[in-house]
Amino acid sequence: MNLWTFRTLFFFLALSLSMTNGLAVERQEDPTEAKVRHIAQGLRCAVCQNQSVYESNSDLAKDMLEVIRDQVKAGVEESKIRDYFYRRYGDYIYMEPIKSGSNWVLWAGPFFGLLLGGWALTRRIRSWQSTTEAMKPSVDGLNSTETAAMQERIRKELERVDV
Amino acid sequence: MKSLWKVVLLAGITGILILFALGLGKDPRNIPSPLIGQPASPFTAKSLDGKGDVSLSDYRGKWVLVNFWGSWCVSCIAEHPYLIELASKARMRSDFALVGVDFRDTEAGARNFFARHGDPGYRQALSPDQKIAIDWGVYGAPESFLVDPNGIVRLKHTGPLYPGWFETVALRLMVGGQK
Repeated sequence: MNLWTFRTLFFFLALSLSMTNGLAVERQEDPTEAKVRHIAQGLRCAVCQNQSVYESNSDLAKDMLEVIRDQVKAGVEESKIRDYFYRRYGDYIYMEPIKSGSNWVLWAGPFFGLLLGGWALTRRIRSWQSTTEAMKPSVDGLNSTETAAMQERIRKELERVDV
Repeated sequence: MKSLWKVVLLAGITGILILFALGLGKDPRNIPSPLIGQPASPFTAKSLDGKGDVSLSDYRGKWVLVNFWGSWCVSCIAEHPYLIELASKARMRSDFALVGVDFRDTEAGARNFFARHGDPGYRQALSPDQKIAIDWGVYGAPESFLVDPNGIVRLKHTGPLYPGWFETVALRLMVGGQK
């Protein structure tokens, strides 16, 4: 393949790629389907292991999706659709636990644990700091953990040993 | 301070263990239904007997057992002999009736099921999808609801009904009257 042929091929390849780009159609999701997807992603498939209605392939989830679609098409508000399922299946149906009753333990628990851990860590760091301070030698060569008695003992030991 | 931490840690672990023990003691089949004490969702659907539609409102004034089932459901076969027995009891009483909701099923499937296992004789609402079932907060089959004469859901039973269920569970509610 000579250089001229290569250039020609390259030109047509670049041209076809640019044309493809121009012909590409940007697909927009149907607004109704977008709303159905949004609602279905927030609802749990009642018979699955932690899967949303939107993600699940179970028959129940498919029919639940159909119920959501019917209600969205009928112009029912999102909160009312969510409430429809809540009144039939309880708060288990929500992928995200609702912020009420004993569910507050779930929401506040981790933050409470974090605060408790932070407090414990601060205390521990402070105790380390105070220990380090106490270990530092003072001006007279003694630190606070060494008493005068200890100093006396060291002096006697040094006298006994002929250095 | 160290002993305080030990107490806090011990209390935390004990609390988790207690919650764990309480959770293990629960019956996983006993899923609480928010529909208890609420008005039953009305439904109207084609009847399997071919005599027009069947509605829940047809049974107003009676205690009615709404049984959700499907010919595809294995546990429904186990439950079926008791439903036949219960249907004969209902025929002798003026205050109690049964209605079936055959969901996610075909008419042929339901007929075939009755041909093999016996026709209990009460009316069956045909629901090819499970929209009626979803409207009643049903998870699977069989599930049964006891609705009082005022149309209030008083009880939900998940799984097959068992011999003696009517006397030990339903009749107690019925005799106890309507709250």
